[in-house]
Amino acid sequence: MQAYHFGGGKARWVPYLLLLPGMLLYVLIALGPSIGTTFFSFTNATGIRGAPVDWVGLDNYNEFLLMGQASRDNLAALGRTLIFCFFVTTIQFALGLLIAVLVNKRVKGTNFFRTLYFMPVILGAVIQGLIWSLFLYPLGGPMAKILEFFGTSSEFFGGQPSEAFAWVIAVQIWANMGTTMIIFLAGLQTIPKEMYEAAEMDGASGWQTFKNVTWPLLTPSVNTNLLLNIIGSLQAWQLFLVLLGYRNGTQVLGYLIYAVGFGQTSGSVTSSFRQGYAAAASIVLFLLVLLLGSIAQFFLNRRERRILG
Amino acid sequence: MNINKQTKLIVDLDKKPQSVMKTRGKINWGKIGIYAVLIIFAIIYAGPLLMLINTSLKSLPEFMKSATSVTTKLNFDNFVDAWEKANFPRYLTNTIIYTVSATLVFIVTAVFLAFPISRGYVKGSKIILSLFLIALFLPPALIPQFQLMLRLGLYNNPIGYILLFTINPIGITILVNYIKTIPRELDEAAALDGCGYFRFVTKIIFPLIRPAIATVAVLHAIGIWNELILPTIYLTNKDYYPITRGMIVFQGVYGSNWPTLAAAVLIMIMPMLIIFLFLQRYIISGLTQGAVKG
Amino acid sequence: MKKYFKPFMLVLMLVVVLLSACAGGAEEEVTTDDSTDAVAEDVTLRVLVHQNPPMVEFIEAFNDQFSEEYPNVTIDLSVVNANDLSTVTQTRLTANDVDVIDMFAFTNAAEPYMVNVEPPNWQTLIEAGYLLDLTGQPFVDNYFPSAIEDAGTYNGKVYQVNLGTVSYSGIYYNKDMFTEYGVEVPTTWDGLVTACETFAAEDIPCMTAGGKDGWPIFVGAYGLIGSIYPDQAALVEGLWTGDIKWNDEKSIEMWEKMKVYAQDMMEEGASGIAGDAAPGRFASGAVAMFPGGTWYASAIEASEPEFEWGYIPFPGSDDPENNKYLFGKYDQGWVINANSPHTETALLYLEEFSDPANYEAFVNAVGFFPTQPGATLDTQIGQEVAPYLENFRVGFEQYWVAPKGAGQYANPWASYFQPFGTFDDVQELADKAQEDLQSGLDANQ
Repeated sequence: MQAYHFGGGKARWVPYLLLLPGMLLYVLIALGPSIGTTFFSFTNATGIRGAPVDWVGLDNYNEFLLMGQASRDNLAALGRTLIFCFFVTTIQFALGLLIAVLVNKRVKGTNFFRTLYFMPVILGAVIQGLIWSLFLYPLGGPMAKILEFFGTSSEFFGGQPSEAFAWVIAVQIWANMGTTMIIFLAGLQTIPKEMYEAAEMDGASGWQTFKNVTWPLLTPSVNTNLLLNIIGSLQAWQLFLVLLGYRNGTQVLGYLIYAVGFGQTSGSVTSSFRQGYAAAASIVLFLLVLLLGSIAQFFLNRRERRILG
Repeated sequence: MNINKQTKLIVDLDKKPQSVMKTRGKINWGKIGIYAVLIIFAIIYAGPLLMLINTSLKSLPEFMKSATSVTTKLNFDNFVDAWEKANFPRYLTNTIIYTVSATLVFIVTAVFLAFPISRGYVKGSKIILSLFLIALFLPPALIPQFQLMLRLGLYNNPIGYILLFTINPIGITILVNYIKTIPRELDEAAALDGCGYFRFVTKIIFPLIRPAIATVAVLHAIGIWNELILPTIYLTNKDYYPITRGMIVFQGVYGSNWPTLAAAVLIMIMPMLIIFLFLQRYIISGLTQGAVKG
Repeated sequence: MKKYFKPFMLVLMLVVVLLSACAGGAEEEVTTDDSTDAVAEDVTLRVLVHQNPPMVEFIEAFNDQFSEEYPNVTIDLSVVNANDLSTVTQTRLTANDVDVIDMFAFTNAAEPYMVNVEPPNWQTLIEAGYLLDLTGQPFVDNYFPSAIEDAGTYNGKVYQVNLGTVSYSGIYYNKDMFTEYGVEVPTTWDGLVTACETFAAEDIPCMTAGGKDGWPIFVGAYGLIGSIYPDQAALVEGLWTGDIKWNDEKSIEMWEKMKVYAQDMMEEGASGIAGDAAPGRFASGAVAMFPGGTWYASAIEASEPEFEWGYIPFPGSDDPENNKYLFGKYDQGWVINANSPHTETALLYLEEFSDPANYEAFVNAVGFFPTQPGATLDTQIGQEVAPYLENFRVGFEQYWVAPKGAGQYANPWASYFQPFGTFDDVQELADKAQEDLQSGLDANQ
């Protein structure tokens, strides 16, 4: 609790009062329903109101994590989620930073490049997917032609699971790098020009300036971006839906939850809605995201305190 | 200001022996390198979009014959076809209403949340912030959320639909982080001048964090604009449909007709593209005017 | 003062927007929640269907016709993607916001020999009291009793009138191409292999299918399973009881043929073709054959009206006797929301739809094989399939319910083979499929 300067008595309640609407919305729309999900995860709920809902204890968790080959398949999907998270986070972070630094330079046309790189973000997963399905059209599409020129070929999204998976990672990075770039750019622009001037006067090289001025002062943006990328990529699945469908060897947890929750695991059959089971799976994903997110948060905070005091 | 002191300190600590002047040639090489990287990425980013535009101008047999050939004539039939098949103007109006109003409500509530949390002006700031951080990780709670909205009578109701988009933990986190870069001394000085809390937040903080607000608002608006699953579930009346529903018509009817599909995609993304091109000047260039300087 | 202007305007705009939206919502309440059963009063009937262009077109025309006959009835038609149909059905039934729904046939029921399986969605809906009991309604008698029994009855009560069947186990073939190269239409597996080899010698790929969507590859080979296991209900029971294994001799034969189908018969690049694009590719004359459901016929005709094609059951067995069956499923049907305030109007809607003339127009628009005795399907696919209709059987997919804990390879899917999947070795895949299945069976002992 920090010293409050804007008066005591009744005036002390003003920040609480103004904070209330946002808090209420949050509890209503996010927190409340999520607690509901936790509750559902211990039942055999189908999501149909009026249908009997029985308390099944840890059955859903047991089935998801321990029962038969299906549980090993689930764990494989979990592993795949981590692989996806690792590649997307690292590549997107590095590219976003590189591009942000470059488009922050005083060279002509930076505005054009910024706009272009950010553009996919505004399109949404469905359209990103459509655009890439077209660009990676295997029967004489542009990328097929390029690969042909280099004497190779690819089945793209229709290829082997690992290949299709790699293409989804590429599209995911293409689609979201703009956000990372913008957040870095916002951070870069808060760094006063005098700092760079001072560094230049001190004769620092480009790399030294980056290392000693840019990088430490970017800390808030670094934190935001890393957290967003980790969490976002752990939860991302829409591109898998749009580009691949529910295919063996490519499922990630988020997609798995949606598919079992809404009876879409087999492509053409509408099976039962296993929302209790799906809820248990989403709690597992939640714990995973929470764990990785908290670890990242812990180290980032420590680093921030060290640098910015 | 605080941040200037800090950063100057860092630079002072890292003082290196001065290397005198930079040569002109070195700078040029740097520039060429910068452009090379930027252009390579520009190709990766523009390529798929150009392919989309090219496809939208072709007829279906032309596309089947050769997917990549550059169109020889400008064939706008696909656009006419797409426009006639979907009720774009109506859906577009709805989408704009949802996007604008939900973003406004969110931004107003978010600033009043983020500021006291960032400053620690309310009891349990840390707990509240953790709550919002946890919300980042929360699983999508479609079913409980639906039951709740139903009981509140907000099903198939634009207000209910808008309410769904009035929270965004990521946005709050960005704002909180951004407000941290604004020196605390400012609060003290303003309070000494007799400025009240509400006036301080609206009159001083709001303009100071404008760049962050712009970024958060755009990111938030994009999410609403592109939402596909929630309107399917929450809005059943045709008069309430947002534009993403128009896309569904096209995927169902024109799934294999790439030229018409491409035209529909272009029609659908055009308004957002224009708004973005207009706003991005504000978002990015606005930053240069200096958030820190105020 | 100027600085206060902007926030003030924001709040003002917000209030205006919310109020206008609010007013809109209120108006809506008045028109739709007019709870009355009497047909004479104004009624808005809310009908939900899934996206299928010829069907939606037909239903729109039918709705106009219906409203003309009953001017007091307005029909509010919602169209959703097939994938979203069950989700939307569920939410709108829960919200009591729909009257008549297009629902897929009642299949994949939990059989007595299945242990610890979840009931299918439709069963849960019936048990929760959401679907109106249609037993004894006069229009139900317009349909084949078998269709009502198989696709719309639960615990002796009728909840759905099913509107038609489709087959998914046949192969389309290019007539001109077969004539040109003197290839006989195959009736045995050897015949099919020979046909493909002949085309391959001429540099013509044998088959295409929408490999990008995954399921068209394995659904395309369902006929192959059918000719090896003609009694598919018995196959499912055998798998559950352990009498049939995915790696026994008969199954190995199935997998071997599937490997040939996936690797030799399918054209290179099929794994990148979208399901919607495959019929057009076949019609363009790029390939000789196209294994696929009867629902593709209209797309083939639409993309190349002059194109000459035929349709045969998948000749998966060396014995032509086993290749005479067409496997498929009951497709969509109508159900009524039991809690609807307009059940009488909804029943009237179904009655009108079930009228033989209207029904026949419907099957011809959509391409279903009729479930009404009097109706015939006049389209080409109708004529192609007519000789096999007496041998129509419900396929594996409509019976199969996987045990909990079974792995993701516990299915007879040709798409597990490269290039669509990761497997290349027949024995390895057969063992994996059985292992994944067994793992689920064991887990429920």
